[in-house]
Amino acid sequence: MMNITCGKIIGQFSDGNRSLPGSLGRRLALALYRVPTSRARKLLHPYGNRTPDDKEDGTVGHDGEMNVTRTPLQSPSLETVVALKAAALVKNAEDLGSTAGVIGIWPATRILWRGNPGRVSYSQQHGQQVETDIGHLSESIKRQLLYTSPNGTSAVRFSNLLTRLLSQPVLSRKHASLSFLHSLAASPSTSPIFPTPLPSLSLPPPPRSHSRQDRHPRSTPPASADTPSLRNAPSGKSKADILREYRAKIDRPHLPEHLLLRDTLYLLQGISGKYVYFASGGDPDSNQLVFKEDVRYIIAAPTKTLIHRLAEVGYLYVRVDSFVRERESRAGIGMIEQSLCHHLQSQLTEYYRLIAVLESQMSANPSQQDALNGDETDVQDIRGRESGLTLKRLDVWIQEWRLRMRMMSVCVEGARGAQGGALVNLIHGYADNGDPFVRKFTDQLLEEVSMPFFATLHKWLFSGELYDPFAEFFVAVDPELAHLQYVQQSSGGQLGGDGGFGVGPEDGADEREGGLKLWEEKYQFQREMLPAFVGEAFGRKIFSTGKSLNFIRYSCHDSDWVATRERLSNTGGTLKYSDIAGLERSIDTAYQIASRRLLDIFFEKYGLLDHLRALKNYLLLGYGDFADQLMETLAPSLSRPANTLYRHNLTATLETAIRQSSAQNDPPDVLRRLDARMLEYSHGEIGWDVFTLEYKVDAPIDTVLDPEAMIKYLKLFNHLWKIKRVESTLSTGWMRIAGGSRTFLRVPELAFEWHQVQLVMAEMIHFIRQMEAYCQLEVIECSWKILLDFVQKKDGDLDALIETHRAYLDRMVKKVLLLSPRHGREENLLNQVRELFTIILQFREATDDFYNYCLSESARRDAERDEERGIFTGSEPRRGLHSLPDIVGRIKEYSSAFSEKIQTVVQGLQSHTDLDCRFLGVRLSFSDFYKVRKEQVQQRS
Amino acid sequence: MPREIITVQLGQCGNQMGSVYWQRLCAEHGINKEGILEEWATEGGDRKDVFFYQADDEHYIPRAILVDLEPRVINNILSSPYANLYNPENIFVSEDGGGAGNNWAQGYASGERLYEEVMEMVDREAEGSDSLEGFMLMHSIAGGTGSGFGSFMLERLNDKFPKKLIQTYSVFPNAQEGDVVVQPYNAMLTLKRLTNHADSVVVLDNGALARISADRLHVQTPTFDQTNQLVSTVMAASTQTLRYPGYMNNDLVGIIASLIPTPRCHFLMTSYTPFTSDQIDKAKPIRRTTVLDVMRRLLQPKNRMVSTVPSDVDPTDVHQSLLRIRERQLANFIPWGPASIQVALTRKSPYVPTNHRVSGLMLANHTSIASLFKRMIDQFDRLRKRNAFTEQYKKEKMFENGLEEFDDARATAEELLKEYKACESPDYITYGSPDADHAS
Repeated sequence: MMNITCGKIIGQFSDGNRSLPGSLGRRLALALYRVPTSRARKLLHPYGNRTPDDKEDGTVGHDGEMNVTRTPLQSPSLETVVALKAAALVKNAEDLGSTAGVIGIWPATRILWRGNPGRVSYSQQHGQQVETDIGHLSESIKRQLLYTSPNGTSAVRFSNLLTRLLSQPVLSRKHASLSFLHSLAASPSTSPIFPTPLPSLSLPPPPRSHSRQDRHPRSTPPASADTPSLRNAPSGKSKADILREYRAKIDRPHLPEHLLLRDTLYLLQGISGKYVYFASGGDPDSNQLVFKEDVRYIIAAPTKTLIHRLAEVGYLYVRVDSFVRERESRAGIGMIEQSLCHHLQSQLTEYYRLIAVLESQMSANPSQQDALNGDETDVQDIRGRESGLTLKRLDVWIQEWRLRMRMMSVCVEGARGAQGGALVNLIHGYADNGDPFVRKFTDQLLEEVSMPFFATLHKWLFSGELYDPFAEFFVAVDPELAHLQYVQQSSGGQLGGDGGFGVGPEDGADEREGGLKLWEEKYQFQREMLPAFVGEAFGRKIFSTGKSLNFIRYSCHDSDWVATRERLSNTGGTLKYSDIAGLERSIDTAYQIASRRLLDIFFEKYGLLDHLRALKNYLLLGYGDFADQLMETLAPSLSRPANTLYRHNLTATLETAIRQSSAQNDPPDVLRRLDARMLEYSHGEIGWDVFTLEYKVDAPIDTVLDPEAMIKYLKLFNHLWKIKRVESTLSTGWMRIAGGSRTFLRVPELAFEWHQVQLVMAEMIHFIRQMEAYCQLEVIECSWKILLDFVQKKDGDLDALIETHRAYLDRMVKKVLLLSPRHGREENLLNQVRELFTIILQFREATDDFYNYCLSESARRDAERDEERGIFTGSEPRRGLHSLPDIVGRIKEYSSAFSEKIQTVVQGLQSHTDLDCRFLGVRLSFSDFYKVRKEQVQQRS
Repeated sequence: MPREIITVQLGQCGNQMGSVYWQRLCAEHGINKEGILEEWATEGGDRKDVFFYQADDEHYIPRAILVDLEPRVINNILSSPYANLYNPENIFVSEDGGGAGNNWAQGYASGERLYEEVMEMVDREAEGSDSLEGFMLMHSIAGGTGSGFGSFMLERLNDKFPKKLIQTYSVFPNAQEGDVVVQPYNAMLTLKRLTNHADSVVVLDNGALARISADRLHVQTPTFDQTNQLVSTVMAASTQTLRYPGYMNNDLVGIIASLIPTPRCHFLMTSYTPFTSDQIDKAKPIRRTTVLDVMRRLLQPKNRMVSTVPSDVDPTDVHQSLLRIRERQLANFIPWGPASIQVALTRKSPYVPTNHRVSGLMLANHTSIASLFKRMIDQFDRLRKRNAFTEQYKKEKMFENGLEEFDDARATAEELLKEYKACESPDYITYGSPDADHAS
């Protein structure tokens, strides 16, 4: 019977084989069976082990050919040959499948040998009757393919192959072939391996096949299904029968799968089942699964493993579910978390749906179980089994959910420790995954979870408002400053230059702190809260944009705010995770608009450039005539002790100086900010030490011109003012000598001393003028140019402006004060230069004494001469306070002190690390005068 | 308190120079021919009150005193469109109108005679200023009025205002040819006063002016007008920092203090570039005016009129140019003291358009000026040896008793020449020391 059956089938197949072009047929078969590779390999293995027995039967060629002549079969019928040939074909396909790593074909061979006369005859009849019904068949195949692999590629591939098959003219029984292959595919994949392919022809299969069955408890039901065919085998009872008999004897059968299945379904919902339950330890994180030990049943180890795997999903479910519940019941959790919970909840709902479906599937199972218990098998039965639920099927069903649950669980775990942006960040960490499933899941999750983030971002980016009730955004507000809005001072108030009465220093300090502090500290950038998909650079931009807008609104009281918002909202659009490129574009635009607007406000509304220019002109003495004027008027009073200076005198002098210099053209707003005052003085200091000019700024300009910057300006002023003082001292000294040149010509013996004085003075003038020129040209003007370049471009935000201004100031401080980078010796050179200034001033005093001496001396001589002529011209002129040698001695002393010191200074400058400072050295020794002199000094010594 | 400067223009040459100079200042400050500020001249920042004062009726009036012994040039000015610019009280024309006849002695004598009247004008102007810084004299030293009257004025101003600066813009005669035969006498006599009574003398060498006209402007025989435009450009540039104040050089003393180490060596040479058709009619256009270019050209002798003020300049350019000049040793310096090129950036008038970016004026105190003195002494000696043309001088009271003044003036010039020569040596430090005198 077996032979006949085989022959029939083979006949059918061989027909197809003949007419099917080999590769096409093979591929069609391959397309029909998609079984995980690992299993295919496992299943192929025993077959491979078996083949050596039949090896001499024929050599299987790689292309499916078989050498028929060499077959040692006892009754080599045509059928057998063809059968072998078909087997070889299938085998070949298996090889291919295992090599390709996708396809297993073993079930096909199994079906082939198992044989089912009823079924085959049905197919045969069916094939003959409804040749044309091929469309229906292909539809059902396609459906099945779609079912097994939802992405549809195999279905598409199938239909491609089918079209090609139909177009082949040679194959006459296309439908039959197809339905055969289909029936092969429809057989349950979980069926056991049949021990021998040719039971009627060969010896009983090796015992190890049975041991395999032993290890494979789920082979029981199929094995019973096989028995009818095996019963006819000449070898009598199979090993399976023996085993079952043994089991019946010890009365400890396998626990029926449907019971386990039910428990498993409970487990999936996190509920302990009857036979399998979660260990209910005190520790909620423990994931122990316990199988109930019962003497009546055994649960096979592989089943346990399988259930273990399945239970993982249940365990994870419990965790996710408890998290969601916990968060839902708790108040004050972040919006991002809420949104995460929402997403998890909707995922869980999906999961419930799946469980429900599975449950309904399971309810169909008992009938199948009943049917299996009976010895009769029929088509119906097989069908029922096919649609039923088994643990393995459950595993497949649940496969995707396992991954999903794992992802969710990870999120849940992360959510415990992180919050807000950091949470989003955590989830985003999984977005860059090669696994399309993980990626897709994360993307969906992110889309949901980032929604509140983007809502906050939108408000922040386009309105400059921080709406973040749960502190989830990457911008945090300093609660102390949050409600501190800058109240703009009414103009003319405390800055009216009324002598400054009534303004306590503390008040002033408080106000001054405002601008920069508000800008820098009101909002804080929190890197750990920044979502990674935004990127730090963009994060900074977002931060700056919102800050700028906020500043525009609350600190600058910009009346055009509405217009700005209008422009912003035009660029906006909706911000969402899936449109990162759009997001970046929006951010860029918003950043540009906001930054530009803020800078515009600073420069246009608050006239920042005017103030910067005023600072340069007044504090950095850019208005030379103003400075000269101020110095000339103040000089007499500044030479007196500091405590004799009065503020009202200073301010009056300042007013005069402004009126009489080109400063008068400056706008009143600038002028009213200018003030002259005294620094705190200690005993013994004179006016020169304590006088300073001051330029007052108010909010929001003090964001740029903060108190620290003002201190630097004052420092610069102090030094430049000193230089100016020395210069004007020397100029008036020069004037005296030039104007009095004829007067002392009358004391001819002192002419040479004067010559010396003039030369030293010329050297001093050269020094101080070069110093001034250097400060003005190399330092102030060049720095100013850099600043102006920025102002013209307005490229960047307020921070950039603050930074540029700071750099501008620092550059000047460093170079004007000739600061050295060497730690602890920064002011070495500056101190030497200051000493030079002191020497010059002392020298000038000495020359004044000398001048006075000459003056009185020549007056005396005039009087003598007059007396000689007999004219009395009045009383004896008073002699100078100092004797001549004393005066000349002092002059000499200061001269040599100066020339020594300047040598040191020039050398110090020439080895200065700063290029510009070094250039001052070049300027001072432009004609290599100091170099030459150094050499001379060296030669002499 | 602006540092006012009173300008005294003497003689034909002085008045012609002055006339062009004032026209230029008016243009730069946006003052019209009537002395009224143009409506468009709204850009502040300039100081008009150094050279102008405002009358009650908003007129800007130059602080200028115009003196001549013959009416021709002044009449020209008074019939020009700028006639109403000047204060008529400040114009002095000798009543006899005979001029000084190119005779220093005659000019000097007229000075003695007419001094009161001119001094009154000076006093009035001085009282009208808050903080007078000094005087600017414009004259030629070759003729009669400029040199003679000018010399007298120098002496008197010096006596009367010992604490004020006196700067002169003196046109020195052409070496080759002279319209006046006695110009060596006149020049020598004036040079003595310039040496002893002026604080700084800006030497405008007629020869150099002619050469520049020829080289730069392609004019073989320049008209007076062209030369005067040349001069006025230089004068305006040299006072630029006073009128457009900046960080430095805002007063006259600031400018000259660094140029003049020892009081006698106060003869300054100027160079200016580029001379273009903006300032001078028919000038050759100069295209390239980078800072370095201008500075290099300023250092070329042929541009030297016997000084540096670029405008609207990138400060870094100046810096670079200074370095280049030093590297290439484009300039030589005195050996006995530190010396360098000082660059003062100044704003330029917003009202006068120029088609070059940078222009520069250099004021230099250079020892090569000695050659000019040498030439003057030589020319003087040639005449003096023959005692030629001395009769006219003897007519005047000063020379009645002999020409000692001639020799005295020559001695002063000789001394000056010697000092400038000495400046070239490192031993200048000991110049004039009693020991050195003993040795020689």
